[in-house]
Amino acid sequence: MNPYLAVAALVVLCVVVFLLPLIPALVELEREEDGLALKVIQEHAGEIRYFADGFRNYIKALEPTLQECLVSGGTAKGRMPDGAEYLVLGRREEAPLLPLEQHDEICPVVLATRADLVLPSATTFSRDIYAGGGFIGGIENCYRAILGDKDVRLGRGSRVMRWVHAVGEFRADEGCQLYGRISSDSAIRLHTGCSFLRLNAPRIETGPATRTEDQGKRTSSRPLNLPRMLYDHDFQIGAGNEFVGDLVVRGRLRVGAGARVWGNVKSGGELIIERDVLVSGTLISATRMHIGLGCTIRGPVIAERELEMEAGTRCGSPECPTTVSAPNITSAEGVAVFGTLWAREHGQVVKKA
Amino acid sequence: MIYVLYSIVSIICVYTARHYWFTLNRLFGFQRHPYIDIDTADWPRVTVLVAAHNEEKVIANILGALMTVKYPGDRMLVVPVNDRSTDRTREIIDEFVKRFPGRIRPFHRVTGKGGKAAALKDAMEMVETEVILIFDADYIPGSGLIKQLTAPFFDPEVGGVMGRVVPMNCGANLLTRLLDLERSGGYQVDQQARMNLHLVPQHGGTVAGVRLSALREIGGWNDRTLTEDTDLTYRLLLRGWKTVYQNRSECYEEVPETWQVRIKQIMRWAKGHNQAMVTYGLQLLFGQHRATLRERLDGALLLGVYIMAPFTMVGWVLALTVFYQGVAPLHGVLAILGVTAYATVGNMAAFFEIAAAVRLDGNCKRIRLLPFLILGFTVSIFAVSWAAFSQVKDALTGAEFHWDKTERYRKPAS
Repeated sequence: MNPYLAVAALVVLCVVVFLLPLIPALVELEREEDGLALKVIQEHAGEIRYFADGFRNYIKALEPTLQECLVSGGTAKGRMPDGAEYLVLGRREEAPLLPLEQHDEICPVVLATRADLVLPSATTFSRDIYAGGGFIGGIENCYRAILGDKDVRLGRGSRVMRWVHAVGEFRADEGCQLYGRISSDSAIRLHTGCSFLRLNAPRIETGPATRTEDQGKRTSSRPLNLPRMLYDHDFQIGAGNEFVGDLVVRGRLRVGAGARVWGNVKSGGELIIERDVLVSGTLISATRMHIGLGCTIRGPVIAERELEMEAGTRCGSPECPTTVSAPNITSAEGVAVFGTLWAREHGQVVKKA
Repeated sequence: MIYVLYSIVSIICVYTARHYWFTLNRLFGFQRHPYIDIDTADWPRVTVLVAAHNEEKVIANILGALMTVKYPGDRMLVVPVNDRSTDRTREIIDEFVKRFPGRIRPFHRVTGKGGKAAALKDAMEMVETEVILIFDADYIPGSGLIKQLTAPFFDPEVGGVMGRVVPMNCGANLLTRLLDLERSGGYQVDQQARMNLHLVPQHGGTVAGVRLSALREIGGWNDRTLTEDTDLTYRLLLRGWKTVYQNRSECYEEVPETWQVRIKQIMRWAKGHNQAMVTYGLQLLFGQHRATLRERLDGALLLGVYIMAPFTMVGWVLALTVFYQGVAPLHGVLAILGVTAYATVGNMAAFFEIAAAVRLDGNCKRIRLLPFLILGFTVSIFAVSWAAFSQVKDALTGAEFHWDKTERYRKPAS
């Protein structure tokens, strides 16, 4: 073979091998198929009622029909502008008129009513539901989403796949599984065995209703200009002691029973709060947190791994709502959170110890 | 000479391993976003400082965006820090002050030392709140961003907060597309991995926040540095304050659209970073302070990122010299194996990181531009090396640092 030709062939081969990965790059540069700025979600900003507000706008098209059915007491069927089938009910007792022929069937229509709505049991509602009156769901139902203008009550063992928003009180009976966002403008009550992810309401309570006193006002506001104390190892605040200042502990932290902490508390390790403790600020643990019986926490409560709350715990107050968040939350009956309760992976209401 | 080469190769290998560690952590590790869920709280009063020097093209956008954020209006004060602007910046700011009475209190600075840190230092007389948020004028905050950046300050260990920067003009040309990929890698992988691993997320000086008491404890803004953000990160760290990164607190910015502007920008970053390395490097590694061992090591590596460029160039020269001298390091065969292994694994590290970041962002086709990053890396390595060289020259001749403002490309808001 001609040596010049061989060298030329080698050079060409090298150039081809070098340029080969650039071909898709040049195509992308020319066509700009993926050249837009990364979409930064700016509209809803994590607003819990975002989907509920969207659905409220969506059913605005049904407004005349809803009113008509309410006045006439009749039902109406049709299709939404996006093609989804809807059923508007005029009276509470017409729920059995749902397009269901047998037990355990899937109800495939958007259901809407201005009246109260009582739904049968063991049914899957695969489209969103709007109730202008009170909503009472049967047991072991599965819902996609519910918007209720008054109280919403889910029967035992029901499941919610996306969201619920109640203008009135939301209540889930024993063993409900709430996978999405649950919000109320009034209150949320979850009974034993309920699992949850994200809850938001002025008042969230677990277990059966009991007469509880609002302790928010009882805790006077914390002193200003708090000093910060930083400990590199484990630390303990003795039972009944008072601690003033922001406390940062890089190891484990135990706050003894009846202690008062006027400031924010952070622990790099496990954080144990014994019974009847008051914390006027934030509670944060980089791992696991246990809050004992009858504690009052005024600020946000954050555990990066796991949070357990015992009965009588109160987080936030009606005047100063707050956020309680952890990947895994176990809450006993009798816990009250004012604001947001957010379990990233799993939240569970359990019986009192 | 051969031992110098070994040392450089060893350090490069450490950085390579770090790239892989961070990327694998982002792909498979536990992801920390501890404060992002705080959506209900007794929100504290905040001051938002907007650094502006001749920003007539962009200042209206950020002020307009800040007036629509979801944060209690009576608890947020916006302070545009108009640093000796000679264009219409002052006029535009004053128009906003009239339109939103009580919500914007301008700080018009007409004299004084140049540079962002010096301007922020002077503007501190306007700050009365514990939480301070900082934006450059070309950024456009989303409606939830102020709450997201404020939330970490509920943690008493947090002294600084950093959000994520997302280029908005990424489709302008090849350079902006490459910078978009680099930013993606830097934030989506590097910063978040540092957050996950309890290392040292870097304060970026914009889309960021600082606690007033922490700032006072460390002596305020340092106006003798070119990168006040890096300086702040290390001074906070040495005094036991954490800087945290919020990957989901995203904010649009403009990236340079010409290579000249990009080179000036990266040279300033390199000089500021090297300055911090000289100032805090030894103290961080061996001094008595509150940083943990992993923070000391990661902090030192972070300080060294820009000095690695001239080191790498020295390594190339040494390797060629050794080769032409006929020296066979590590008995030749081992060296060949090492070079081959590095060529396949080591050189891939940065590309792997950026590819992972782009994938985590949910993008697909832009990943095809990855080979062009060689161009960006090449320009950066020479620019950063030149910056280090000129910095040494400046130190010897006693020349002052010079602040170059980054050019804006957006059309002025009407």
